[in-house]
Amino acid sequence: MKQKRLIIRSSILLIMVIAIGYTLYNHLYNERGLVDRNDVAPNFKVEDLDGNIIELEELRGKGVYLNFWATYCVYCRQKMEVLRDNYEEYREQGIEIVSVNVNEQRLRIERHADRFNINYPLYLDQHNLVRDAYGVVSLPSTFLIDENGIVIERQIGGRTESQVLASLEKLIPNQ
Amino acid sequence: MEKVKCECGHVNPFGTYLCESCGKPLIEEDTPVANMRYEGVARRSQTYNRTIVDKIWNFFSSVKVGIWIIVLLLIASAIGTIFPQEMYIPPGERPTLFYEQEYGTLGKLYYQLGFHNLYSSWWYMLLIAALGISLVICSLDRVVPLYRALKTQKVTRHKAFLERQRLFGISEDTIDADKEIKIAEKMLKEKKYTIRKEKGNILAEKGRFSRWGPYVNHIGLIIFLIGAMLRFFPEMYLDEHIWVREGEEVVIKGTNGEYFLRNDQFIVELYDTDDERFRQAFERTGQQVVKTYQTSATLLRRTNTGAVGVGTELEEVKQYDIRVNDPLTFDSFALYQVDYKLNELAEFTFTLDAVNDTTTEDLSDVVFTVNLYDPEYVYEFDNGYRIEIMEYFPNFYIDNNNQPDTRNMIPDNPRIIFEVFTPDMDPDSDSGELSLIGVQVNEPLIGENDYRIRMIDVDMKHVTALTVRKDRTIPIISIGGVIFMIGLIQGSYWHHRRIWIQNRDGKIWIAGHANKNWHALKRDIDFVASKAAIPIPKDQLDEEQNSEGEEGGNNSDSTKQ
Repeated sequence: MKQKRLIIRSSILLIMVIAIGYTLYNHLYNERGLVDRNDVAPNFKVEDLDGNIIELEELRGKGVYLNFWATYCVYCRQKMEVLRDNYEEYREQGIEIVSVNVNEQRLRIERHADRFNINYPLYLDQHNLVRDAYGVVSLPSTFLIDENGIVIERQIGGRTESQVLASLEKLIPNQ
Repeated sequence: MEKVKCECGHVNPFGTYLCESCGKPLIEEDTPVANMRYEGVARRSQTYNRTIVDKIWNFFSSVKVGIWIIVLLLIASAIGTIFPQEMYIPPGERPTLFYEQEYGTLGKLYYQLGFHNLYSSWWYMLLIAALGISLVICSLDRVVPLYRALKTQKVTRHKAFLERQRLFGISEDTIDADKEIKIAEKMLKEKKYTIRKEKGNILAEKGRFSRWGPYVNHIGLIIFLIGAMLRFFPEMYLDEHIWVREGEEVVIKGTNGEYFLRNDQFIVELYDTDDERFRQAFERTGQQVVKTYQTSATLLRRTNTGAVGVGTELEEVKQYDIRVNDPLTFDSFALYQVDYKLNELAEFTFTLDAVNDTTTEDLSDVVFTVNLYDPEYVYEFDNGYRIEIMEYFPNFYIDNNNQPDTRNMIPDNPRIIFEVFTPDMDPDSDSGELSLIGVQVNEPLIGENDYRIRMIDVDMKHVTALTVRKDRTIPIISIGGVIFMIGLIQGSYWHHRRIWIQNRDGKIWIAGHANKNWHALKRDIDFVASKAAIPIPKDQLDEEQNSEGEEGGNNSDSTKQ
């Protein structure tokens, strides 16, 4: 009888605590993005300024540094300069930089590429579809996607040169 | 804890005041009237206090605690309305500074204590959660024993139980008790009482279901709270914003890239100022009054599957005129008109003039339109002129390093640097004249120019803002509300009345109890007494009050529970 009471009371309390805990967790620690660590990176297809189309799935086996950026975003520029200086080196090690612009005017992207001598392709995201699929709100947002197409890290905001390099190191396949 | 066996044979849980079966008082009290709250049953919570679980349980089972939680919630909620919440401060203001600047030290304190985001703060939500827990436990702890007690109650109650009812009387001498009780039974049936009989004694009962009113009400409240809680679960609730320019197609957030919306036209309709019917109103407001905000929209759906991005194919699903409170609905989504922006710059049309009239060339063919959302790089003309856009800043400003830059991609303050090549120049090797053009800005960048680019036309577009709303909790919240009201009505408009009539040694004993509205119970007894020779019971509380003044009435439980 007493045992039964304890079990009933404990289970009722437990159910309520779990429900409330989950609600509070969802509400207060809503840091998790739409796409985040350990998720399968949603597949997408984007076109660069020259009309070359790339599909994420085709990059299986390579580490993908997926970066969302805009020309007016100052932190994006710093990041892109680091990427530019190290692109060739990491490309040889099996890393692809997929730099997706947030649907800006094509002219602005082109001029930006010229001015900063960007040596890797810049992709357009018409209708912001890829941005929407990845739940990107602030810029720059970066997703590190491993050779199996799994997101290993989601980064928001500016990063120092050494941080960007560390991220690239992480992406090298078959370490 | 020992169980208590009453002399009638019924075994009662520890802490029982009145035997569940015969009603004999098991714990002596000093008052002349028994405390009938919850039928005198043992409220479990207050009797077991052994483990941690019991202690937590007992804490939340206390009505006192429940009331304190409500009081704290009320105070906190009230404080939250003193200054505006963060989401209502003017857009662009920084809350860190705003509250202090606007409201002084109090405002600063308000911000520091977190009241600017009160209703979603962790402690406010915990209070609500505590209220929910309190509701569940309080109700469970009371409704279960009460239900049991009312179900097991015996017709023939103990002498002491009758004596200690608020309405109680004994006939002085009776001719034929059984006969009178039979008449009384008939009268009570007429009053729609349910009659139970045992050895010539009767228990007449009416409106027992009203006792469940408060619990039904609580169930409604709990469902309501669950509904509110579900908003924080995935797929249950969505509240997003989209801005759509006229002619533009935009993906609808939250639909996983499946649905798109095209803004075919946005209009703001005003009331006719010349209309005689509105003359007085206009005199009063002194300004134009909006009649309608309307977005004529087309809903599109993606038809291909696979990767998002390039190659998306869309088909039209439906067209709808979205107005305020008249949303476009599809699947579980609704799109509400919420904001707008009129006359956003969309296109500039330019022509070329020679600054000195020395040239004889005909420049009238040099007319070109720059789409500010996606400008061309080069504009070439039949007469050999060529104009290139060297730089484009949709929302121009000078940054901290004194460099021209754009704030974002919205053409609110567009500036374009044009390079003009005459027919005799080679665009690859020569450099042309540079001009910086914007709204009310037209200046050569290096030295004097021979050509001047002149704006001859501007095209503007309206932009509409829509809220994307999905709320699957509405049915749950409504059901909770309806149940809440049913419980309220059940407990307010009906009340539980009981009359015990017993034949004890040829005398008629009568006792009555109501959980409220004693007056109606007394009238029912009067009605019975008009035909049957039963004693009119006395109200023992009245007597007490008469003898002790105002002190005596505080045992009344007439409105509690």
